[in-house]
Amino acid sequence: MPDEPMILVVDRTQRNLELVAQLLSRHGYQTLTGANLEEFDHILAEPQKIALALVDIGGFDRRIWLRCERLLEKQVPFLVLAHRQSAAIQQESLVHGARGVLIKPLTIQTLLASIRSLLAESA
Amino acid sequence: MAKEVGTRISTGVTGLDEILDGGLIPGRAYLVRGGPGTGKTILGLHFLTAGVARGEKPLFVTLEEPEGQLRKNAAAIGLNLQGVTFLDLSPTSDFFAKAQTYDIFTPAEVEREPITQKIVEQVEARQPRRIFLEAMTQFRYLSPDGFQFHKQVLSFLRFLMDKGITVLFSSEASAMAPDDDLQFVSDGIIQLDASSERTVTILKYRGSDFHGGPHGLRLGSDGMEVFPKLVSEERGRPFTPEIIRSGVPELDEMLHGGMTRGMVTLISGPSGVGKTTVGVQFMKEAAGRGEHSVVYLFEEWLESFVHRCEAINVPVRAMIERGTLTVRQVEPLRYSSDEFNRLVRRAVEERDARIVMIDSLSGYQLCVRGGNIITHIHALTRYLKNSGVTALLINEVEAITGEFHATELGISYLADNLIFLRYLEVQGELHKAIGVLKKRMSDFEQSLRELEITRYGLKVGQPLRGLRGILTGTPQLVNHQIAGDGLRHPRPPRQNWRIRSDEQPE
Repeated sequence: MPDEPMILVVDRTQRNLELVAQLLSRHGYQTLTGANLEEFDHILAEPQKIALALVDIGGFDRRIWLRCERLLEKQVPFLVLAHRQSAAIQQESLVHGARGVLIKPLTIQTLLASIRSLLAESA
Repeated sequence: MAKEVGTRISTGVTGLDEILDGGLIPGRAYLVRGGPGTGKTILGLHFLTAGVARGEKPLFVTLEEPEGQLRKNAAAIGLNLQGVTFLDLSPTSDFFAKAQTYDIFTPAEVEREPITQKIVEQVEARQPRRIFLEAMTQFRYLSPDGFQFHKQVLSFLRFLMDKGITVLFSSEASAMAPDDDLQFVSDGIIQLDASSERTVTILKYRGSDFHGGPHGLRLGSDGMEVFPKLVSEERGRPFTPEIIRSGVPELDEMLHGGMTRGMVTLISGPSGVGKTTVGVQFMKEAAGRGEHSVVYLFEEWLESFVHRCEAINVPVRAMIERGTLTVRQVEPLRYSSDEFNRLVRRAVEERDARIVMIDSLSGYQLCVRGGNIITHIHALTRYLKNSGVTALLINEVEAITGEFHATELGISYLADNLIFLRYLEVQGELHKAIGVLKKRMSDFEQSLRELEITRYGLKVGQPLRGLRGILTGTPQLVNHQIAGDGLRHPRPPRQNWRIRSDEQPE
């Protein structure tokens, strides 16, 4: 279904990827998933249009910020997911182009609302 | 509290049904709470198999132990789970081995819906009449907060009860995660404990009477057994002042005819003085009348008891064979007092025992496990009295001679009759004496008599007169001296020995 927005989800935890993919699929979104930097790079190299990215920075090192900058360059709006509230993470995320930071664990309603809002904004 | 009229359903544990005033009111939800190893799951298994016995299709919802393990445990206690459906929602090993952990959403967001869906599907498909759910507290992890948990549990229970299902659900309360909210939403609370001894207590039962307080419980190879505390009001025979004799004329004379049936008699005295023999004498006579008596031996071995009774002309073996006597050896550390009381109750209600002898109270005290023996023995004797059963309580006192104590347990007030036995030291020889200190229903002989246990049986002599200080164990002569061949009185004074060398006859 080509009209359904494509959402990229990057997360080192396989179960997180599965859960988000299932959720987004149920709500009419297509998903691409990446579980490490290599997969992330590979997806970024692909020509398909990505409407939005969710980047869970848990388990990644600082190189994740370079990929975030690539998303920014490609004009893909993205949200950073972090496991704790931290001013440093907030600042780094915004500096590298994130539209916002969501703290895990998320509620499904919050995540969906954030996605809808960002997509509407981009449109 | 008014009793609810209507059918009750069995928990599968007879004693528990009894304290629940007949069982569970169907279509309601009951909380089973208790620490680890208290028997919550076993109770659930009994509850479900009782449903199978009624042709139902019960459902076991497990969020903890896997089905295979539960089936094994049930088989170990002889419970056949054929007919019980399991909904196994316990985590599989994949959860650990295949990195099934997640942190992006709360468990409430991820797990609740599928779990709820599975339960609803099973309930719709099987239409069970009873469900055991272990453990409801697991749902707490599937709720974002206490309010949601409370609401979800209420809604879940309502869903089941709307279908007329009787629900038993367990909780695992701890200081960190109390289950007070579950206590409020349930219609009844069955509390299991295993601290000093295993007990079950009904804390709440909406719309029904129940037997309060802790009741003894055993988890054994046959599963769970509950031993309700004796409630004397349960039975009641009209009192008839019937006399039962010992068959030893002198002893009956001391009691002005004998004991009154249905009374409690304390037979007290030091070790080896003949307390058991005196008690057995009443049973021997009862056997002659075709009555059934029961002896509970807490200290002595059965064989030794039989042997020594036979040696003194009490045909215990024949009495046992004829069914007029049951001798039961009781290991006090194995039985709780409630469990022991249950044995007595069975003997009374199922075998129509008319005399029950507890030999001895010291052994019974061990069953009480540090509790108050007076409370327990009070309940037992009240029950026996209400049932018209004669109770003989053998009480051993420590002191051989010296200051007299009828009993060292503070239970003499419980006794309607108090027979005491004493050693008397006379010129370096020990003699035995028997006396009556109390008899509620009639007068009794105030003097002591010498007691002898011979191969022909119990021999009680004539009243000992002319002595003082008998209760000290070292009696002194008042008017005349005592013969060296015994303490037979009256008899002519003979100067062959005196009780104490420094005592001169008056």
